[in-house]
Amino acid sequence: MLIQRPLTRRTAAAALGAAAWLPAVRAAGAVEVRVTDDAERALSGAVVFLESAEARAQVKPLAGVEIAQEQRRFVPEVSIVTVGSAVSFPNRDVVRHHVYSFSPAKRFEIKLYVGTPAQPVVFDQPGIAVLGCNIHDQMAAWVVIVDTPWYGRTDEQGRWSGAVPAGRYRLRAWHPALAVGATPSDQALVVDPTGARAAVKLAVAR
Amino acid sequence: MKPLRVFGRWRLSTRMAAASLLLLLALQLSSLAAIRGSIEANARAQLSERLAVGERIWQRLLEQRAAKLGQGASLLAADYGLRSAIGSDDEDTIVSALDNHGARIGAALTALLDTKLLVRAVAHGDDTTLRPATIVLGSIAEQLAKDGSAVAMVGARAFQFVMVPVRAPLVVGWVAMGFELDRGPIDELQAVAGLHGTLVAQPRDGAARVLHSSFEPALAQAALDGTATTDHGGAVEATLDAMPWLLRPVAVSQTPRARVQLLLAGSIDDAVAPYRALQWTLLLVTLVGLALFAAGSVWTARRVTQPLSALVRASVRLGRGDYDAPIAHIRERGEVGELARAFDHMRLNIAAQQQEIRHLAYRDRLTGLPNRVRFRDTVIGAIGRGQPLAVIMLDLDRFKHVNDVLGYASGDRLLQGVAERLRGVVREGDTIARLGGDEFALLLDNADAERAQAMAVRIAAAFEMPLQLDDQPVDLSAGLGIALWPQHSADADTLLSRAEVAMYAAKRRTAGAQFYDASLDSASAQNLSLLSELREAVEQGQFRLYLQPKVRVADGTLCGAEALVRWQHPQRGLVPPLEFIPFAEQTGFIRQLTLWMFAEVARRQSALVALGVARVSINLSTRDLLDVELPEKLDALLAQHRASAQRLCLEITESAIMDDPERAEATLQRLAQRGFKLSIDDFGTGYSSLAYLKRLPVHELKIDKSFVMAMERDDSDAKIVRSTTDLAHGLGLSVVAEGVENASILQRLNALGCDEAQGYHLSKPLDVAAFEAWVAKRELATA
Repeated sequence: MLIQRPLTRRTAAAALGAAAWLPAVRAAGAVEVRVTDDAERALSGAVVFLESAEARAQVKPLAGVEIAQEQRRFVPEVSIVTVGSAVSFPNRDVVRHHVYSFSPAKRFEIKLYVGTPAQPVVFDQPGIAVLGCNIHDQMAAWVVIVDTPWYGRTDEQGRWSGAVPAGRYRLRAWHPALAVGATPSDQALVVDPTGARAAVKLAVAR
Repeated sequence: MKPLRVFGRWRLSTRMAAASLLLLLALQLSSLAAIRGSIEANARAQLSERLAVGERIWQRLLEQRAAKLGQGASLLAADYGLRSAIGSDDEDTIVSALDNHGARIGAALTALLDTKLLVRAVAHGDDTTLRPATIVLGSIAEQLAKDGSAVAMVGARAFQFVMVPVRAPLVVGWVAMGFELDRGPIDELQAVAGLHGTLVAQPRDGAARVLHSSFEPALAQAALDGTATTDHGGAVEATLDAMPWLLRPVAVSQTPRARVQLLLAGSIDDAVAPYRALQWTLLLVTLVGLALFAAGSVWTARRVTQPLSALVRASVRLGRGDYDAPIAHIRERGEVGELARAFDHMRLNIAAQQQEIRHLAYRDRLTGLPNRVRFRDTVIGAIGRGQPLAVIMLDLDRFKHVNDVLGYASGDRLLQGVAERLRGVVREGDTIARLGGDEFALLLDNADAERAQAMAVRIAAAFEMPLQLDDQPVDLSAGLGIALWPQHSADADTLLSRAEVAMYAAKRRTAGAQFYDASLDSASAQNLSLLSELREAVEQGQFRLYLQPKVRVADGTLCGAEALVRWQHPQRGLVPPLEFIPFAEQTGFIRQLTLWMFAEVARRQSALVALGVARVSINLSTRDLLDVELPEKLDALLAQHRASAQRLCLEITESAIMDDPERAEATLQRLAQRGFKLSIDDFGTGYSSLAYLKRLPVHELKIDKSFVMAMERDDSDAKIVRSTTDLAHGLGLSVVAEGVENASILQRLNALGCDEAQGYHLSKPLDVAAFEAWVAKRELATA
């Protein structure tokens, strides 16, 4: 099942929840993760994903993911895609953009274009790609490429919860406010059928 | 004299001017010194301030340079190609890209640092001396990240580094670029601030080195040496190439390996220079001011002192007695004018007083005639002309009595009247003077004895008419003494004194006029010898006592005698009294003569009493009367000869008493107390008042022989004798008549009630032997 247009965080979260819920092969536990900064303040918008070999085996590329350029901004600014997802970059501005990424996770550039480029960009490695526009220095976007179907984003209270099959996972968390080039936090999480609770601290620059 | 006076005048004005000038000079010098000190301090302070400003300018220059370079670096760092190269992660690609892009803006070295400020790559072209750059960058990366720029030594050169972030689009790293710090900012600093700069590197291990300098190398090294000794932050003074400079070290960078300093240098001379010009101008103004002031002071001082020296000259003239020249500057206003006017007033006053004094000195105020001093001068002048001349001196008779009886006012008018009469008789060219008191003198110019005699006659004629004083006729008579030049004297003073001698002689003789004769003059050689002869006469007993009998008029019996003196001179024979008595009176020898007579009489008193001479009369002169010791001297003689005062009668002339009535009275009182009988001699010739006579302790009046001798012919004289006799009797006095020359007179005297008589009819004065014989003969005749 594919999520057509995860335009907002809420709908994306709902889509993730649905995605987590649908393949009920094994008993799934409710996982609740709370992300805070160093000062224990809730951190919203943090990307949380749970990695494991089983999860990697179940991952499927997303289709129809768009990172649009509207009013000289990337929309959305932070996107989470699974490995192998192709992302199109529709330019909804009248000016041209020159989208690029020097990130090791995915290097590419789409030189001065208007409209939607014919070839979407396929993000085939897990990691974080930072996107910029060579014309407009202030434009920036992040694409978090995850190798797991269990991922989501924290709400206003810095919480994310979802049903995850029981098992042993690496709980990773990342936030755009982390330093450039910083890798997502990494901690072990065992998910019982009854679920699990976890707290993550991120050293974000606020 | 003149230069001295000029000097004198200059001295005061110069003093005044110099005093003011010195004050002004001191003031100016102190203010110049103060200004100079202030300028020095001010210039230094300003220079110090300029150095501080220079430091800020330097820092601003570095900042601007850093900003400019930073902007360039930013642009380069945003270059997509560079970012692509960096993104490639390939070391060589990155280095060559850094080299390439650094070269675009002339960076000597370019480096890439990661987000953790670790140096990832350094590109420095082929310059191997820049290899230490990696370490240097590592040590200054923190500072670069913070400030954006920093200066640091790389090898032997100083570099200014800038560092900018590389965004893709987030900050993925930093690009640092180093530019050699060359002379540019130093030259710019010199152009902007006029200060010299010397960039100095001080490695941690090694000697400080000059990197760049606006100075020439030697001077730059000197500046470095000049600051080497000091390390305090402020400015230090140093002498560079014999010129004073102010140096200010400015820290440029500090890394563990080396320190970079900029030595800012400002020339103290240059800082002071504009003030120097001001000081010269000020000095010039001061000098011009001083010169003007000096000229002004001298002018003012001379304006003050010139009138003063004119006044000094005027007062010198006044001192010499020149009162005619008027004083200058009396029209001027102010103090000098006042002084000049006061001087002129003084001049006029002194001149008037001088005139008055001269008048007083040479004129007699009462009569307006020249006085003695003036007369003497006139005589001296006349003698100087060499013409023969005569001096007539005259002394009024009885003037004292006029004063006493009629008062001094009348006496004065009498003198004025006499002066008037004398003026009437003199010729043109003759001089009349009042010598003092009642003494007058005439100078007859070009005159001989004959003319002098004629003048004496004219004077006598002028005096014939009595002078009216308040309807009171006063007879005028005077003794005239005449002395001639050159016959009587060679000089004026002697001439005058000889005229005086002659005058006194005339008065004594009551002769109208008397020419000078040496015999009259006690001071003459002849008289000096006469005096010594008189003394000898006393010692050698040449004097003879003569006695003239006095008889009672009523019965003709001998009652007394008048003692007289005769001089039996060994060569000249018997000298008549007139030839030595006046002389003795004049010289005072008369007192010795009186005492001699008194002693003679006292010695013979008992013998004479035995002859029937009850009382012997002795004449006392004026000088005797004035001798206060006379009574005691007489006492002594009486005691010596055991004589009795009661048998002695002392005769005093009326004029002798009137010379000094008070003293005479006192002496007479004392004599009367001793029992002497006192008699007024020559009564009727003087001016004694009855009131005065009444007071005197006298017992007898002797009527002057002139009345007695004339009573036969002149009835009025007879009346005088009668009334005098009546008067004397009325006062209780006895009356003696002198000058009885015949029997008829004696008869008349008897009829008038006169008490005693004396005269040639009875007997002339006789020596003692003859007297005794006369007495014996008379006794025989009467017996």
